[in-house]
Amino acid sequence: MTRIIAVAENTFRESIRDKVLYVLLFFAAATIFGSKILGWISIGQDIKIIKDICLAAMSVFGALIAIFIGASLVYKEIDKKTLYTILAQPLHRYEFVLGKYLGLVAIIGVAIVLMTGISVGYLYFMGGAVTLVWFQAILLIFMKLALITAFAILLSALVSPIMGAIIVFCIYVTGHATEVFKDLPPQFDDTISRQVLEIFYYLIPNLNTFNLQSEAANNVPVTGAYVSFALAYGLAWTAMLLILACLAFEGRDV
Amino acid sequence: MTAIVTEGLSKTYKSLGKAPVHSLSDLNLTVEENEVFGFLGRNGAGKTTTIKLLTGLIHPTAGRAALFGTDIITPDARRMVGYMPEQPYFYEYLTPRETIEFYARLRGLTAEEREREWEQISALLDLRDIANRRIRGFSKGMRQRVGFAVALVGDPPLLILDEPMSGLDPLGRRMIRELILQMRDRGKTIFFSSHVLSDVEEICARVGILVSGKLAACDRISALVGDVAKSVEICARGLDSAFIANLGGQVISHEERKEGGHRLVVQDTEAANQLVVEINRAGGTLLSLHPVQESLEDFFTRIQEGAQVALPEEKQPAALAAAEE
Repeated sequence: MTRIIAVAENTFRESIRDKVLYVLLFFAAATIFGSKILGWISIGQDIKIIKDICLAAMSVFGALIAIFIGASLVYKEIDKKTLYTILAQPLHRYEFVLGKYLGLVAIIGVAIVLMTGISVGYLYFMGGAVTLVWFQAILLIFMKLALITAFAILLSALVSPIMGAIIVFCIYVTGHATEVFKDLPPQFDDTISRQVLEIFYYLIPNLNTFNLQSEAANNVPVTGAYVSFALAYGLAWTAMLLILACLAFEGRDV
Repeated sequence: MTAIVTEGLSKTYKSLGKAPVHSLSDLNLTVEENEVFGFLGRNGAGKTTTIKLLTGLIHPTAGRAALFGTDIITPDARRMVGYMPEQPYFYEYLTPRETIEFYARLRGLTAEEREREWEQISALLDLRDIANRRIRGFSKGMRQRVGFAVALVGDPPLLILDEPMSGLDPLGRRMIRELILQMRDRGKTIFFSSHVLSDVEEICARVGILVSGKLAACDRISALVGDVAKSVEICARGLDSAFIANLGGQVISHEERKEGGHRLVVQDTEAANQLVVEINRAGGTLLSLHPVQESLEDFFTRIQEGAQVALPEEKQPAALAAAEE
């Protein structure tokens, strides 16, 4: 565990010194403050719109951090040969993969906390109330980003950063629309297309499970049971992806 | 105890649509504890592949190896090794102190041990002045010092150094050479690859030479270069041109020395004796006479040109079994 933490801390420190992180955080903050503009054009709905945009900004910019930093995390170590002296130490390769993962998740966690702080302060300033469902929505966004990071780490151990980033981005987009693969119109009945799309439904995580944006914006309470289910779903997917990432990296020559 | 044993160690790289590349074939090698072993070969001969196999960076296609009796596939084997890759790369945003701290943590050292480790290593490699500067701006020599420092973290009994003198200026090379000898005196085993044959000759007890992924020679340097026929160099003065002209095929080479006199090289000691008699008879003065031995560089060149030298008999399987016991 000490070795995993050492790798995680180092990854955290590396990401903190990465300019990409600050650029993304800047744009996230700009989007949150810019939500006022949309609030103006939606008469009487400005607080709802601001809440909606704040959560969307956390989700999108958090995903961009996970994709851009995560997809190059392991590959960069191989490419820059920093991995040579690390893997020559008495550590298991899975410890390295988990350390890299936890380091990046910690960075995303800090980014989410920062964006939450900015959003809450801004909403308070604008006269909006923040309830439990708002924080439940943020918790599930964090779970979704942890899942996306696991995908990014897996691909980082297998393909180049650009290829990895494209694939994870596609998963992020289609993951928000997996119901489409399941609820096909009747003309798809008994076709190969239905079978293929159903396979996609099970291969790609349903990221809408983590989406409480509309509930948070409208202050509609969500049960603890649902949040627990969503967390369990996210953790199961994350664990499976991390196991695959460890296995992929275990047999790899560097 | 045996520090390194390899038995039939092989590595073949396969990639889709390309012919397989046999980077290392059937390597049988033993390196004893507290030995300085030089691993030689041209670029692409398989030196780095062997080192990567021994440090667990790549997996063997066939065969096995053990470090101090522990199979290389287990992380415990790497507890025995300090590794410095060719052109060591580290996190550029870290300082030498943070780098040593990081690797010490990977080796499971406690905070107290890490502090002690830094004190010792930084003193040995003169890192204190640059302790808090980021590695990003470091010269090749400074990076090499950090690389050596990382290899020493955790006080491993075996150091594996890949081209440690590559790209260094004479002072840097000397520093590494002295460090290797210092480590040997502290009881460590050093296995290193190099192109700088004069350094190898100076500090190694034994060498192994790889040719196209196969071990072509492995023995003490004196045994390897002693195998070939020696010639004898004779320097004399007071010899006239007629005497020289009459020597004909008796000498291998002849040249006039800048400082006066002649330098004559003959095939063996018998021919040398005969020539000395003739020089005396002709009224010449003998200045010097000494055997010319083949250098490691000559041997290396000869072996690369295809002269296969018989390997000394090494009982690898028995050695491996003994190491495991």
